[in-house]
Amino acid sequence: MEEIKKTQVEYPFLEKPVEIYERKCGHKIVFAYKKGGLLNISSWVKTGSINENDENNGISHFLEHLMFKGTSKHKAGEFDRTLESRGAIVNAATWKDYTFYYVTIPKGCDNRNFKDTLELHADMLLDPIIPDNEIGEPFDINNPKIKTKRERHVVIEEIRMRKDQPWTKVYNLLNKNLYTQHPYRRDVIGNEQIISTIEREKVLEYYKNHYTPNNITTIIVGELNFDEILPLICKEFDFKGRKNSENKEHQIDTPKNETTIIEEYAKINTGFLMFGYLGAKACDIKTSTALEMLCTVLGQGQSSRLYQELIEKDKEHTFNVVSTDYYHFKDGGNIFIDANFKPESKDKAIDLIKNQINKICREGITPNELKKAKKKLKAAFAESAETVSEIGETIGFYMTVCNKLEYVEKYIQAIEEITLEDIKFAASKYLDINHAVIAVLMPESYKK
Amino acid sequence: MERYTLKNGIKTIIKRNNNTPRCAIVMHAKINKDPAKTGLYYIMTQLFFQGTKTKTAQELADLMDENAIDISADKKSDYIIFKIQCLNEDINTALEIFQDIIENSTFDEYKKEALKIKGEFKADLDSPKLQAQENYYRTIFKNHPYGIGRQEIIDNIDLITKEDIIKAGEEIKNNAAKNITVVGDFEKADIINLLEKHFANLKSEDSADERTKVAEIKEPQISVIEKEDANQAQIFKGWQFPNIYSEDYAAIILLNTILGSSGLSSRLFLELREKQGLAYTVRSAFEPNILCGNFSVYIGTEPKNIKTSLEGFEVEINKIMTEPVSDEELENAKNNAIGKRQFYQETNLLEAILKGYYEFLGLGYDFEEKLTENIKSVTKEKLTETAKKYFSQPSVISILAPKKYLEEAGILW
Repeated sequence: MEEIKKTQVEYPFLEKPVEIYERKCGHKIVFAYKKGGLLNISSWVKTGSINENDENNGISHFLEHLMFKGTSKHKAGEFDRTLESRGAIVNAATWKDYTFYYVTIPKGCDNRNFKDTLELHADMLLDPIIPDNEIGEPFDINNPKIKTKRERHVVIEEIRMRKDQPWTKVYNLLNKNLYTQHPYRRDVIGNEQIISTIEREKVLEYYKNHYTPNNITTIIVGELNFDEILPLICKEFDFKGRKNSENKEHQIDTPKNETTIIEEYAKINTGFLMFGYLGAKACDIKTSTALEMLCTVLGQGQSSRLYQELIEKDKEHTFNVVSTDYYHFKDGGNIFIDANFKPESKDKAIDLIKNQINKICREGITPNELKKAKKKLKAAFAESAETVSEIGETIGFYMTVCNKLEYVEKYIQAIEEITLEDIKFAASKYLDINHAVIAVLMPESYKK
Repeated sequence: MERYTLKNGIKTIIKRNNNTPRCAIVMHAKINKDPAKTGLYYIMTQLFFQGTKTKTAQELADLMDENAIDISADKKSDYIIFKIQCLNEDINTALEIFQDIIENSTFDEYKKEALKIKGEFKADLDSPKLQAQENYYRTIFKNHPYGIGRQEIIDNIDLITKEDIIKAGEEIKNNAAKNITVVGDFEKADIINLLEKHFANLKSEDSADERTKVAEIKEPQISVIEKEDANQAQIFKGWQFPNIYSEDYAAIILLNTILGSSGLSSRLFLELREKQGLAYTVRSAFEPNILCGNFSVYIGTEPKNIKTSLEGFEVEINKIMTEPVSDEELENAKNNAIGKRQFYQETNLLEAILKGYYEFLGLGYDFEEKLTENIKSVTKEKLTETAKKYFSQPSVISILAPKKYLEEAGILW
C-alpha cells in the first residue's frame, strides 16, 4: 500500500468521524459513514470559470459535458447505461470554483455496485477521449449549416434555455457588473460564439492542465468498510505520474464606491431585480457565517424582515417576491437580495429595499433575531446531513473551495459564537449601500 | 412501521428511524368535492399561515422560525398534504402550532392573501416554460379542476369570499378522509400521546368522491402560445392515462423509464439530445391522478426545430408501440426503476410522504414492495400492449414559440 496521510474530522450529525486521506501524488480521498441503502461517489475538481478567460469562457462546463463521451475502455453512453440500469442517478455540475461528477446508487449486494461505479467513475475522470464526432464540427453561429448536431448544440440549447429565465437573466446582468477584473464576472456557461467554435485540442489541453491529482478530491458516502475500499480507490485512481498544476491566484475586486444600477428589458409582465454585494472569502468562516446569518434575518422565510416589512406590511403591495441569498466563493462570496415587483413601482421598490439595508447596517439585529438565525442555520445543516448526496456535496465544497474539511467540524460552534456585534460589524462592512450593484429587468414597455 | 388508530378514528402509521435528528409528520386529507370557486383550496392552504384566533401571521412565522420548524400545506390534484418537519426536541411545539392553525385559523386576511397570490403567480408566469406547461394541463383537462393553473386563479380569486374559505376549511377539518404518518427517532408511546393530544379535534370520514369526471380527449389537439422573444420553443405533448389503481401501473412506470423519466440513458435523451443535439432538456413524465392520469413528453428547443422535435417524439412513441423492447433494455429499465425507488424514501420526510400516500390511497403503506414485484413481472408483450393501449389515443400538444416558427412548422397558418 502506498504512503498516505490520514486525518479525521468530526462531522455534525454523523455517527462516525469523517476520514481524509491525502496521497503522495496530491489526490485526496474522503470517507463519510452514513447508514442506509444508498451510496454517493463523487470527484470534485478544483476548476471552474475561475480559470477561464474571454477566449475560452464556458470551457469548464463544456468539458464537463464532454467527460461523459467515453474513454479508451468504455464507449460513450456505457457509463450512463450501466449505472442507470442499476437505479443510479448520475450527473455533474460546474460552478465558478469547481466542477464535480457524482453517482448516487443503491448499495446492492456484495459491494458490486460500489466496485463497478468506482471503476467507471475513475476511468471517466482519468481517461476521457472526447471524440470529434461527439463534440460536433465547429460552426458559424450566425450562419449554421451543420446537419449533424452534437454536444456543441446541446450546450447552446442550455444557453438558450437560460436566456428565457428572467431570474437567470437578472443574475447574469448583476454578476458581470459586480466585478471589474476577477474571472467570477463571466457566466459559467459561456456563450454561443465560443461553444460553437472552440477546438477539441483546446478542451483537451484545459483538461490536462486542471484535472491533476492535487486538484481532485474523491468522496465516498455510505455504509461501507472504508479500510477495505481505500486500496481499491488508490488502484482505480492511478494518475500514472501525471504532473500537478499550480493554481493561479487572482486579484480580488474591491467593491464600488457608489451604488450602481443597470437596467435591461424583456418581454415580461413583472419587474425583476437583484441587489448584489461582494462578501467574504469562503475560508473566512466567521465572517461568512455572520453574513449568512445576516441574510437569514433579512430575507429568509416568512418571519424575515424583508418579507414582513415589504410583503406583509406594505399597503401598496409593491413586491410579489423578496428574499436573500448568500453564495460562498473561494475569492469572496456574494450577498444577494432578489425581488419581483410591480414594474410601475420600480423606484419605490429599490428605495424600500435600500431603507431596510440601511436600517440593518445602522442598528444591527435583535437578540431574538440572532437566536432565530442560529437555530435556522443549525437545522439547515442537520437537513443537509440527511442524504448521502448532500453530505458528499458539503464535503466537496469544503475540500475544494476552502481547502480543508476542519471547518465543517467547527461550523456549529462558529454559529454559536457569532455575536450581535459580529453581525453589526459584518453588515456595516459589507452591506454599505454605496457598495451595492443593482440589476433590474423590466418589461419592454418601460423602455424609454 | 406499524398502524395505530387514534381515538377519533384517524388512521396513523408510525415508523422509528434511529439516529435521525429531524422527524417528519405528514397528514393527507382528501379532496372529495370540486372547489366551489376556482382557487379556493389553494388560498385556503396559504391562509393557514396567516393568523389564528390567538396569533398573528408574524407571530406564527416567528414561532416556527425560532424553533426551525417547517410546516406547510400543499394543494395537490386529489388531496391536501400537510407536512411538519422539526428537530426532535421541538416536536411538541411543532404539533401545538399545527393544531392551532388547523383549528383556529381566522382566514381574516383573505383579501390581502389574494393580492399576494396574484402577484406571485404573475411573477411565475414570466417563465415561458411554465406558461406552456399550464397551457398543456388546461388543454388535456379542459374545464376540469385538474386543468386550473395560475392564470385561472389570478382571474377568479377575487370572487372567493371568507365564507367560502371557512366552509372549505371545515370540510377539510371535519369531513375529509385523512391519515397521519410519522417517521423519526422517538418512543412510540410518546408520539402516540402527542398525536392523541394535538389531533383530537379532527374527524375523518370516507365519503364518496363527488368530483366531476375528466372529459375524454376525442380528437388530437394543438394549443399554441405566441411569444416573439422566446429563445426556445417549449413543447409539451401528452395523453390521458390511467391512475395508480390500474393494472397497467407497473408497465407504465417502465414505459416512462424507457422513454425519458430517468437520466441520461433513456430513449428520448439519447435520440433527441445526444444524437440530434436538439435540446438540453428532453424528458417524459407520468402523473397518476385519481380521476385521470396523464403521460407527457417535453422538449425545450431552438424554435426552428419544432417540426423535427415533434417528428422525433412521434418516432419514439411509434417505436415503443410497435417494436418489442429487447430483453436487455427491459431488464435495465426494471433495475433502474426499482433501484431509483430508494431515493423516494431516503429521508424521514420523503418516507412519510410516500408511505402516507399509499396508505391514504388504500393501497397500504407496504405497497412499495408489491409494486416492486409488479414491476419485476412486466413482460415485453405487456409493455408493447400497454403502450399501444394508451398512446394510440388522441394526444394534446402545447407549444410556445415565436409566431414565425409556429407558421414554418405548419402549426399556424
